Amino acid sequence: MTLRTRSIIHLNVADFAVAVERTLDPRLRGRPAIVAPEGALRAAVYDMSEEAFQAGVRKGMALRTARRRCPDARIVPPRPDRYEQAMRSLLRESIAYSPLVESGPGDGHLFLDVTGTGRLFGPPVDVAWRLRRQIHADLALDPIWSVAPNKLVAKVASRIVKPTGEYIVQPGEEEAFLSPLPVHLLPGLERGDLLRLRDFNLDRVAQLTALHPEQLEILFDRRARDVYETVRGIDPSPVAPAGNEPPRVAAAHAFADDTNDPGALKAALYRLVERAGLELRTRRLAARRVGVVVDHSDGMRRARQQAVRPATANDLTLFETARRPLLLASARRVRVRHLRLICDRLTFPPAQRPLFAETGRETVRRENLVAAIDAVRSRFGRDALRMGRTMAA
Amino acid sequence: MKAAVEDIGRAHACRIQVGTSGYSYAEWAEAGFYPPGTRSGGMLARYAEMFSITELNYTWYQMPKAQAVERMSRQVPEAFRFAAKLNRALTHEIDPHLWRGQVTQYRDGIAPLIQSGQLTAVLLQFPPSFSRAPHNRLYLGRLLDALTGLPVAVEFRNAGWATDRVFAELERRAITLVAVDEPPLPGLFPRLDVVTHPELFYVRFHGRNASGWRSGNMQKQFDYDYTDTELQDWIRGPIRAMARRARTGAIFFNNHVRAQAPRNAQQLERLLGAVRR
Repeated sequence: MTLRTRSIIHLNVADFAVAVERTLDPRLRGRPAIVAPEGALRAAVYDMSEEAFQAGVRKGMALRTARRRCPDARIVPPRPDRYEQAMRSLLRESIAYSPLVESGPGDGHLFLDVTGTGRLFGPPVDVAWRLRRQIHADLALDPIWSVAPNKLVAKVASRIVKPTGEYIVQPGEEEAFLSPLPVHLLPGLERGDLLRLRDFNLDRVAQLTALHPEQLEILFDRRARDVYETVRGIDPSPVAPAGNEPPRVAAAHAFADDTNDPGALKAALYRLVERAGLELRTRRLAARRVGVVVDHSDGMRRARQQAVRPATANDLTLFETARRPLLLASARRVRVRHLRLICDRLTFPPAQRPLFAETGRETVRRENLVAAIDAVRSRFGRDALRMGRTMAA
Repeated sequence: MKAAVEDIGRAHACRIQVGTSGYSYAEWAEAGFYPPGTRSGGMLARYAEMFSITELNYTWYQMPKAQAVERMSRQVPEAFRFAAKLNRALTHEIDPHLWRGQVTQYRDGIAPLIQSGQLTAVLLQFPPSFSRAPHNRLYLGRLLDALTGLPVAVEFRNAGWATDRVFAELERRAITLVAVDEPPLPGLFPRLDVVTHPELFYVRFHGRNASGWRSGNMQKQFDYDYTDTELQDWIRGPIRAMARRARTGAIFFNNHVRAQAPRNAQQLERLLGAVRR
């Protein structure tokens, strides 16, 4: 850890899904909006606008209840792909100022470590202000921004100005900034912790700062040391460099009509496997794990994964492996809206031939078949040759 | 080294304080102005050992918060003074429906400096786009009304405001017109020595980097190092003229890149001291 004071910028687009939907459909602006899959019997709220939140709508709430609480809200279906795409655009804007940009999966949260960039770009607070202005102009999103000496304090700072605004916490001000705040704003304190704190009539950070480590141990056991630092605004955790996520190949399919027909799901999965497999082969890589993420009609998401041994880029083998995670992820008796295949733990294809002749023959046959399909498709187009199972129904 | 120049060539005593626009720059430690290893939290106390006034610029980015401002004022000697930039929501990003509430928030935020007697001025710095159009004149009049009771200094970046009628109105309202040193580019506010408030004259040195001025990058816009001759011209010219007509003066250097601002500020204090002797 360096002794130098760090400058961390936190960007947070409040109600990210709604914010992205509003950029795409201006009619959603200035009125309550709820993102939830309509039509499903037990649909749950995926995200909601500030107006809907004020009316009592919460994430995960049954859409029926949400509708009762906020009858004039417009309901729009969730489109996770678009939120991830918006997230990538946010990342692209931010990376111009620092290689250290850490982002969540598709939630509008972003940390930038701009320590030491002053000579290039000016003071951190000016970078934050310009970045927000640029994002507003380019993407029509209006992130909250905060500047603080670490991620923890930057995070809390952005929470207290939600849904719009900015907050700057000067170095050395961390503890003074946190002390008057309610404890529920501190990241890392879970529901159980908050209930326990309430039993002890502890609801402000300052009350926790007044406790010594032994007293905190009674409340938090082995986590006492972490809590002791958290309430003082101490957080040495680094901002992970952008692009540090493990490499992976992914493909997704959204069903025109939600379905739980096993044949249709398998057909869709095979098409995804073909896309991912081709990309792996083109990049001369092989996957050691496949995962399937299923989004149901009611907004619930389930993900399952399975190791592939040995690593492969062969469609037939990938499909065989991916069938099990698909079965597990789609086990609910609710229809499926969106299917995503992820091949990760990428490696170079194994050079060693299989030990046993029987498996070896089968592997070679599969490789030859896929190579032949690739050759036909590269010459005559993707649809020149199709597998029977992808043509079902 | 603190600036307390009692007069410049006349019996009339004018107390001039020199400082910089902002004090918390990591690159000032890299450039050797602050001792190596000075943490941001310790910069104000260190700064106050060398200067008697500073211009707060973070209040432009964020509404000042009373508790934080109070803690800040406790880090400096009682005689230390602050000028505080007015928030951008009132000068650059004005919302016609919300601005009055923001004035109240701003006043509440800087209240500790008024109570401690450390506030020299609230600086209203308007962007080049803020022209002397009727709606802007109306807004400025209303804003100044809303700021009544505070010491106010106004800096224009649009040459359209450089007229006698504007100066006369500022004089009537006892508001300081900020004198500026900028690159000689068309459309920018000219270099003047007009005093509109006998209590205070106010000068801001932005540097003369003509090529970087409109680059959109502060590190290029404010990258300039003043020479002794350039500063002496200011002392013999506008500063002397204004010091004769005002009781106090505040001079700030905004060319913060590579700690040129604090060096130029010290240079100006030295030259002012020489004139005084």
